[in-house]
Amino acid sequence: EEWNVSVWGKRRAFTEHVEKLAELVSEKTNGEFTMNISYGGLSKNTENLDGISIGAFEMAQFCAGYHEDKNPTITVLELPFLGVRNLEEEVAVSHMIYDHPAVQEDLARWNAKLLMTSPMPQYNLVGTGDPRSTVESFDGMRVRATGGLGEAFKAVGGVPTSVPSNEAYNAMEANVVDTVAFAQHAHLSFRTIDQAKWWTANLNPGTVNCPIVVNIDAYEGLSDDHREALDSSVDESIQYYLDNYQSNVLTKWDEILAEKGVTKVEFSDEELQKFRDATKGIADKWIEEKSAQGIPAQELYDMVVAKLNELHGM
Amino acid sequence: MAGSSAVLEDGSTLSRLDRGIYRIERFLGVISGLSVLALMLLAVVSVSGRNFFNAPLPGYVDWIQIAMPLIAFLGISFAQRDGTHIRMDIVIGRLKGRALWTAELLTTLATLLLIALLIWGSWAHFGRSFDWNAPNFSRDSTIDIGLPLWPAKLLVPVAFSVMALRLTLQLWGYVVAIVKGGDEPIAVPLMKSAAELAAEEAEHVSALDR
Amino acid sequence: MSSIEIGLWVSGGLLVLVVLGMRVAFAAGAAGLAGLIWIFWEKKDYAWDQLGWALGVAVKTAGQVPHSKIASQELSLIPVFILIGYMAYYAGLTTALFDAAKKWLGWLPGGMAVSTVFATAGFSAVSGASVATSAVFARIAIPEMLKLGYDKRFAAGVVAAGGTLASLIPPSAILVIYAIIVEQDVGKLLLAGFIPGVFSAVVYGGIIVGLALLRPSLGPSVGGFSWGERIKSLLPAFPIFFVVFIIISFIYNPFGGDPLGTPTEGGALGAALIFVMALVKGMKWSELKDALLETAKLATMIFTIIWGVLIYVRFLGFANLPRAFSEWIQGLDQSPMMTLVMILLAYAVLGMFMDAIGMLLLTLPVVYPAVMALNGGDLVSAADSTFGMSGPMCAVWFGILVVKMAEFCLITPPIGLNCFVVAGVRPEVSVQDVFRGVTPFFVADALTIAGLVAFPGIVLWLPSLV
Ligand code: NA
Ligand code: NA
Repeated sequence: EEWNVSVWGKRRAFTEHVEKLAELVSEKTNGEFTMNISYGGLSKNTENLDGISIGAFEMAQFCAGYHEDKNPTITVLELPFLGVRNLEEEVAVSHMIYDHPAVQEDLARWNAKLLMTSPMPQYNLVGTGDPRSTVESFDGMRVRATGGLGEAFKAVGGVPTSVPSNEAYNAMEANVVDTVAFAQHAHLSFRTIDQAKWWTANLNPGTVNCPIVVNIDAYEGLSDDHREALDSSVDESIQYYLDNYQSNVLTKWDEILAEKGVTKVEFSDEELQKFRDATKGIADKWIEEKSAQGIPAQELYDMVVAKLNELHGM
Repeated sequence: MAGSSAVLEDGSTLSRLDRGIYRIERFLGVISGLSVLALMLLAVVSVSGRNFFNAPLPGYVDWIQIAMPLIAFLGISFAQRDGTHIRMDIVIGRLKGRALWTAELLTTLATLLLIALLIWGSWAHFGRSFDWNAPNFSRDSTIDIGLPLWPAKLLVPVAFSVMALRLTLQLWGYVVAIVKGGDEPIAVPLMKSAAELAAEEAEHVSALDR
Repeated sequence: MSSIEIGLWVSGGLLVLVVLGMRVAFAAGAAGLAGLIWIFWEKKDYAWDQLGWALGVAVKTAGQVPHSKIASQELSLIPVFILIGYMAYYAGLTTALFDAAKKWLGWLPGGMAVSTVFATAGFSAVSGASVATSAVFARIAIPEMLKLGYDKRFAAGVVAAGGTLASLIPPSAILVIYAIIVEQDVGKLLLAGFIPGVFSAVVYGGIIVGLALLRPSLGPSVGGFSWGERIKSLLPAFPIFFVVFIIISFIYNPFGGDPLGTPTEGGALGAALIFVMALVKGMKWSELKDALLETAKLATMIFTIIWGVLIYVRFLGFANLPRAFSEWIQGLDQSPMMTLVMILLAYAVLGMFMDAIGMLLLTLPVVYPAVMALNGGDLVSAADSTFGMSGPMCAVWFGILVVKMAEFCLITPPIGLNCFVVAGVRPEVSVQDVFRGVTPFFVADALTIAGLVAFPGIVLWLPSLV
């Protein structure tokens, strides 16, 4: 049995759990169940859900923010200022939401079953010019941030600007944007860090949510042994991802900041609270819109908040 | 010139249909061309908005995403009618009469089959982005300002359907040509030698003086 | 049957369809779709009751490709670049350029021919297509050269060769297509074409001067222009320099500051400027409509072949063929440089029979990964690489080499399209005349390509500044 797996880009920290999963599953089944991981050969990244729905491949990765209308329920995890502090918390809230029946139903429209998440750190800004460390200083700031995150910066006077991620470096150089919001590994691979004078260490405005899904028919068609091998490998793969991200991206990130002399901007609690207050309306609007579509939006949002409070010992 | 194609005409039903569809195709072609112009103006607005008013055009990339299918697909049948889609004619260029029309018939048939299947496939692609019960009927949207994608996706099966009509007409033309024989079939693009293509290019350039 | 064998069979089938004269876009789409059906059915062990399933999955997979691949910002450069070229005719820029080149360079041995080459180079800066450039200059330059007693074949050859500069000097539709297929930075590639384009023009100019010195009967020089006349001749041609300046400064600011925006915006802005000029010069609605229709038709042709080939590429992805080919290339028992040269020679042969765009689109999905692997991978550093350049730089370098090869094919028999166009425009010149006249420029092109291979810095210096 061989599964085709559609991811995109190059092999990187963001795909290491998929590689690990393939390795573990193959080991556990003595090579009977293998995965052929294709980086962009099988589909465009925004159409991986379409491919799953068609049945062209059995497993895929995608990001909810690429196409909110395809997966309205998961975008709860992309709302600004949820207060996620690290990758472990990101995994915990994501998997809790993935288990909710309304979410599973949402994805079942694509014949997709949520297997695990690809935890992304918070999309902090790198910027040119003088560091901005107050909410007021975001007024008029041109920022490359998409979807909900763009909305958040707009709420405090920022100007979200469309730039494809591979043009982000040029856009910063060209002053098309003043700042770019990415996770650390993307700041590294799209070289926006090379343009940066400062980085917002604790703004933590939000992130994108990128699940790994499997085709339901293919999953149900697996023999019990193979399905067991797949299911039992998820936790270990996620753990591998977390360890790898920590040692290969986050540690390296700190080194590069020091090496390039990039200023770490720390926001005070008052400033963060101001930002949170200014963007509170976004969550309300999300809840209102999604509820109108028959999604238990309030429940999903409250679950996330409660879980994070629990994790923070509050 | 745009209208200068090597398609012969007469008073037959086939030829009248050919010219009728050609009018539709030209109209779609003009829309496609105007979309290029719009794309150009969009960039001017985007650049000047950003540099002079600190107000970048929201969703510039999203709008391009919507405009591109207009440019790329609307003219597909127009280009097929005039024989603009490139091919390698070094072998087929040596054929004449019935042998030539038979070869053309076969490749046109294969093309029609492809387009028919792609109408199915692109319709399904549209279908996955469309939902009667969703806001704006949308189940798939652009990344930045969330424009619904279904109208752009719908354009593909629509343009391909016109193309299928054109191909069917050309098949008919080749069948007539095989039956009648000879070198002057109606309503199908005649193969132009490189020299004839060049002459056409020359006419286009000279026309610019007038 | 392994998926790689399926890949080879289907690729063979594609070749047959192309040779049979099926339009390249549809031949590629049909082969890709058939291949997808095959791959999915093979997955179900060719069970008859699964054929319908395989067909459905294949058709839906292929049916995604046209919309999803075309709706991209970078591809929007192509119609805009085509439109610039058409608008430039109406804006009267061609004659202005030729006049200026004549006044500045006419005094050289074979001066009118040298002027023609540099005027085509200048026009290349607003034209994205080689064939159109040759057609325009066949009309304005050949009669002037013949009047001055230039050898007919020589004059025709100069124009045919000069036209090929349009695809190297930005804007260039074919470089955009290359960038999209190999997923590299469009701006860098456009920028990289600039110096090789000028370098080609200089080599052409040098060959002309050399030939004119050896055989003065080929064509005299034209002198006697005062400095005042020369300066004045620049004024009508000035908009070209302005447009070049705009396009370039949206990719790279020559004054060391920040570029002004993205290549997409620069191209569109340049087009808008020339559009305004054409309107000022009195372009009529009927002319505009014709230009728009021609642009639409050409752009549609290019987009159709792009999505057609990408259906085939999607199939290749499922068949894993590119990986297999690149492993085979890497395993060859010869020097990597030798392999690269052989690949370029293969392009020269293929180009004799195929259109440049079709040829690149059909071959790059398999050849490009192999060349990158040969160099040591997509992200290899210059120090660890085979050809002494980093992965991204190798992508740029190979792109320029391949485009230069494709351009070379435009002037080689038996289907050198530029030569046919020149002969078509000038009734007094036969196709044989043009092919004879263009022969010295084969030598020039061979020298240029050898130069670009031996000294990659010519290609890579400018993009490395970005
Ligand atoms: Na050019
Ligand atoms: Na040729």
